[in-house]
Amino acid sequence: MKLEIKNVSKRYSRNKYGLKDFSMTIDKGILGLLGPNGAGKSTLLKMIATVSKPTEGMIILNKNNILKDANYIRKQLGFLPQDFGVYPNLNAFEFLQYIAALKGIADKEIQFKIEQLLNGLNLLDAAKKPIGSYSGGMKQRIGIAQALLNDPKIIIFDEPTVGLDPEERVRFRNLISDLAQDCIVILSSHIVSDIDTIADQVAVLKNGSLLSYSNQEKLIDRIDQKVFEVAINKEHLDNFKNNNIVISTSRKEDKIAVRYISESPIDGSVSQTANLEDAYLYLTKTN
Amino acid sequence: MKTFFSIIKYDYLHRTRSYSFLITLCISLAIAYTFVPEPDASYSTIRIADYVGYYNSAWFGYVTAIMTSIFLSLVGFYLVNSAIKTDTVTRIGQITASTRITNFRYLLSKALSNFLLLVTIVVIVFLMSILLFFLYNDGYSFDISQFIIPYLIIPIPAIFCISILAVVFEVVFTKYTVIQNIGFFFLFSYLAFPSLSENSSNMYEFDLFGTQIVMHQMEESVRNLLETGDDKGLTIGYVLGNTGETKNFKFEGVNFPISFIISRILWCVSGCLLLLLLSPIFHRFDIKQLVKKKQLFSSEKQKTTVHEIELSKLKKSTHNYGIYSLVKTELLLFIRKGKRWLWILNCIGFILLAVLPISIAHTIVLPILWFLQVHRLSDISSKEIYHDVQYFAFTSYKPLRRLLLSQLLAGIVIMLILALPLLIKSVFVMDIQSFIHIIVGAIFIVLLAITSGIVTKGKKLFEIVFFMITYGNLNKIPFLDYFGGLQHSSSYVLTLTLLTIIMAGIGVGMRIQQIKNQ
Ligand SMILES: Nc1ncnc2c1ncn2[C@@H]1O[C@H](COP(=O)(O)OP(=O)(O)OP(=O)(O)O)[C@@H](O)[C@H]1O
Ligand SMILES: [Mg+2]
Repeated sequence: MKLEIKNVSKRYSRNKYGLKDFSMTIDKGILGLLGPNGAGKSTLLKMIATVSKPTEGMIILNKNNILKDANYIRKQLGFLPQDFGVYPNLNAFEFLQYIAALKGIADKEIQFKIEQLLNGLNLLDAAKKPIGSYSGGMKQRIGIAQALLNDPKIIIFDEPTVGLDPEERVRFRNLISDLAQDCIVILSSHIVSDIDTIADQVAVLKNGSLLSYSNQEKLIDRIDQKVFEVAINKEHLDNFKNNNIVISTSRKEDKIAVRYISESPIDGSVSQTANLEDAYLYLTKTN
Repeated sequence: MKTFFSIIKYDYLHRTRSYSFLITLCISLAIAYTFVPEPDASYSTIRIADYVGYYNSAWFGYVTAIMTSIFLSLVGFYLVNSAIKTDTVTRIGQITASTRITNFRYLLSKALSNFLLLVTIVVIVFLMSILLFFLYNDGYSFDISQFIIPYLIIPIPAIFCISILAVVFEVVFTKYTVIQNIGFFFLFSYLAFPSLSENSSNMYEFDLFGTQIVMHQMEESVRNLLETGDDKGLTIGYVLGNTGETKNFKFEGVNFPISFIISRILWCVSGCLLLLLLSPIFHRFDIKQLVKKKQLFSSEKQKTTVHEIELSKLKKSTHNYGIYSLVKTELLLFIRKGKRWLWILNCIGFILLAVLPISIAHTIVLPILWFLQVHRLSDISSKEIYHDVQYFAFTSYKPLRRLLLSQLLAGIVIMLILALPLLIKSVFVMDIQSFIHIIVGAIFIVLLAITSGIVTKGKKLFEIVFFMITYGNLNKIPFLDYFGGLQHSSSYVLTLTLLTIIMAGIGVGMRIQQIKNQ
């Protein structure tokens, strides 16, 4: 499995790009996409999923140009859009059967599979109720289930964990970590902790461009030994923020504890172990 | 107060900035063009016996104003009658409900934005009527007041009340869209033909559409011209072929009595009062809960234990690109749509088709029974977009060939099943032509639904067109007879088939574009 994205641009209007001259090559495994709002994550994922077409560039899967032959990827694709709807009058079973039919999966065997998926996503009890009566997180899990119906080899999840409670997040992670062996799994999120436990590779996007694409260790290495924490007075915070890259702040008695990144820490700073979140914030704040 | 107006403003902007509104405007323009027939056209709109007015300013102003009032009262209602529903669907309603706005203000703002929407159409028609005047100019002088006065007094108050009625219907029959649609139709029929006893001019005040007073004045003018007392046959609406030996009379407009003008204002005021009266029963978007209470399932009921599953161990599925199960789901969606008791109506219609004489069954029961399916058919091809499942649908395997085809098939199956008694009967009496015509009719109407759904990405256009067609069917207008109840000519079937094929072409072409340029 090899997915190549070559010089892809998506232009929405004259000067408005969703993605600009974007290239990357994705191998099998789990790729986490990080980026602030409006970075272009959904734009990229929709183009890979053949939902929208690039204005320029090529997307190639195993030497097949999917812009010319969309059905080549659609046959092996599972896609969870960021915004999606359901037919509220159908129940989970019926809706998944419908999606299965859309994907062209034989009717007979699918029953059992749907049952398994609903079970794995903890939806079996509600499966006979109309989806219109589902909670937000339950609807999201229906979306996850539909993406996995056709034994996909390329799985694209745009913010899959939105609306899931902590328990369901864990269940979701376990579910997809099993897929990494012979599939390409791409998931986007703003929540770094959703990515850091499972992603083999991490790509950071901002303003339609790729800021970094590597495995987690390499990304974190960049700021190794540069993360510190210091307690300062409240009135100095604004000034401090102007001169340093602040990751986070928290209240500590009458002072403020500041986690920040710097080559030359101020006095009283304590060195911290760098994590993915630090690296991500460092990247997006400095670029 | 300022916030109140900005609510109306943004509501109006939101609704007019849509593609479907643009289409509505274009269609309104096209229709307005036909309000005053070309000098040598083969139809008439308003005609008193053999007489039509000279093509002066007054004739253009009043005729188009009358036509607008009637036309836009009927169609306008269906154009604006989902203002509150839209807020429910977009969930903006829930946000609105959490603000301090009162029910009355909210409802009034919806009514006013309905009104603005319809006024926009009136303005377009108004400009068109002036354009027509110059286009067909017979040398009469242009008098702008003959345009402004009738428009201000006739259609404007009428559509104001219609805008309010649309909201009233939404408030009263929140969950029964069907009752809203059919109920208004009866109300309209009742209002459009008030039982005006001869010459009792003081009844004009009760005429919501404000058209009677003008039409009586026209009749009066012709009567004076002929100096006979006998009744002159006034026809209003599109009538084909009665254009022989047209004579002209001079129409100078109407001097509206002050009581009539006051009555127009009173209509509007009582509309607002009605809203005020009803505002306490407005649901204020607390409707989801009603649904939920019924279907809520608590976690205590949970029986099955959840297993961790290993996806890679699941059996691989095989491919099947047939469309059987797609058709099945489409049918399921049809059947689930709407309230269950509507199926009782369908059953009654079905039985009537079987027991009534074939001619009545074919000319009256069938079009009504089919029209009852309007809400099933109307979103047949736009429901993916409406329900936001288009990402699934359009990236499926061969969406066009499989999904669109299965929607078409499901639609036709439903329509033909409903018409089954009639089909069987026509085979028994060896009326093969009717048999074929019914089948072509079913395909035609389903394709009309599909194509208008694809073109407008919504369901309104089809609902209105289907409604007007059915209205024409019940009034026995021959060229609207798509199901072969009135006409028995093979050339008509052929024309209809051709039309169906062209429509299919447009629909498929547009959908290909939509899938390509998402
Ligand atoms: N249909 C559209 N028309 C115009 N601009 C668009 C459209 N869709 C996205 N954009 C723009 O493209 C850019 C990238 O959007 P995109 O949805 O890909 O961001 P994202 O990374 O998914 O953000 P989020 O985290 O909020 O989901 C944004 O600036 C957005 O304004
Ligand atoms: Mg996004």
